[in-house]
Amino acid sequence: MAARQRSPHGAETASPQSAPRWCQGRKRGADGKRRRQSQDGGAARDESSGRAADGRLGSFTTPEGPGPLSRCSDWAAAVEEDEMRTNVNKEIARYRRKLLINEFSRERRSSSGSSDSKESTAPVELETDEVVLMRRQKQINYGKNTIAYDRYIKEVPRCHRIPGVHPRTPNKFKKYSRRSWDQQIKLWKVALHSWDPPTEEGCDLQEISPVDLGEMETESVGSHSTESQTSCQDNDDTCSGTPTKVRHIDYQAEGEFDLEACLSEPLKDFNTVS
Amino acid sequence: MGETGREEYKIQSFDSETQKLLKTALKDPSSVDLDKVANIIVDQSLKDCVFSKEAGRICYTIIQAESKQVGQSVFRRSLLNRLQQEYKDREDLRTRSLQAWICYVTFICNIFDYLRVNNMPMMALVNPVYDCLFRLAQPDSLRKEEEVDCLVLQLHRIGEQLEKMNSQRMDELFSLLRDGFLLQEGLSSLSQLLLLEIIEFRAADWKMTDAAQKYYYSEVTD
Repeated sequence: MAARQRSPHGAETASPQSAPRWCQGRKRGADGKRRRQSQDGGAARDESSGRAADGRLGSFTTPEGPGPLSRCSDWAAAVEEDEMRTNVNKEIARYRRKLLINEFSRERRSSSGSSDSKESTAPVELETDEVVLMRRQKQINYGKNTIAYDRYIKEVPRCHRIPGVHPRTPNKFKKYSRRSWDQQIKLWKVALHSWDPPTEEGCDLQEISPVDLGEMETESVGSHSTESQTSCQDNDDTCSGTPTKVRHIDYQAEGEFDLEACLSEPLKDFNTVS
Repeated sequence: MGETGREEYKIQSFDSETQKLLKTALKDPSSVDLDKVANIIVDQSLKDCVFSKEAGRICYTIIQAESKQVGQSVFRRSLLNRLQQEYKDREDLRTRSLQAWICYVTFICNIFDYLRVNNMPMMALVNPVYDCLFRLAQPDSLRKEEEVDCLVLQLHRIGEQLEKMNSQRMDELFSLLRDGFLLQEGLSSLSQLLLLEIIEFRAADWKMTDAAQKYYYSEVTD
């Protein structure tokens, strides 16, 4: 704790103006405006193609290390970290309450007395490791801090969401393996791309393909998300194929628009999956 | 906002252009350059001690407004970055301008007082605030009335909170203050009085006792 707050060393290496490393790769910059791909030396090239400066895959969004606090001698980042932690704690309390209340009302309903009539009331083990929860929350924040997500929640209020069709934020409190979780996040973010705003290229084909891809994507996401909750490892190869392709196309659209690639490649993959 | 708003946020010292900017920041934060606003506020706090005493309030309001409007914390980030920058150069600041240094300490303590994160004080500021107070308790600072005055004022306002966050450092600080009171040469009578009062105040669990009130703050009638 002392090292974190008293030494200005950390702050000296990074100018106050530059975004903390974990901010790189967002669709929107700190000022809320959508980042163009060229900004920040390709910082927007997050999960798709490049590797970040330190050689890690752009998709490796989770900062590993001795722990979140010891790396932050940057007040702003430390405060944001604290805020996220306290928010996560509030959320887990609320989630636990919700589970309890569900259990309680279910017990009330099945008051026949038979103790083995309950389907899944075995106490569910929740993820409580703070490091894990913080990491997951950061990943979720990345996905939510996008224009696509904004458009999505405006267009589809939660009550109108159709499970399996509309993307759903992965539940960070459930126990999942690291791979399973990362995969869920990937698929979720891919699905959100359906709500990306049209580019300024003015290509009206662009209007069509998001819809097509959307339908196809969410179909596959639907089937994948149910699977991923059980054994995503099996689907890893097929799962990882599709998202990359879709993302690649997304960025392709910024330059030349390749309709063939859009319509043919994903279709191929989808066929192999289903 | 009107007169009450200006009074409340003490922004009279700004020119009208800037006042307008601040008012917009309070109502519609996403429409202004929040980084610029943060810098304007910090700059002014270093110049105007009246403003810096209550600047935390306007900062808090802007932060809440931005969070509510767009769910972001651009302003807070800029504010803290700038605050940290000045903190790193605080020794230079003090050398350049004692007044600006005093304003800075007042400002950072006010920020600590007002800016909360989910109802908790900002942990990241605890040690920096202590560092500033420790600096004020050094011999060369104790010899300056304005610095002693600043020190005891901050302790009155945030001492109790600060102690809760780290009581060991508070113990160390008061050790210095006791020594200062007792042994420091060149202390003015006023400075001695201020130090004695704060030592008693803390000993009374950060409360004003009737006896102390009578001794330090009441007019002598006889």
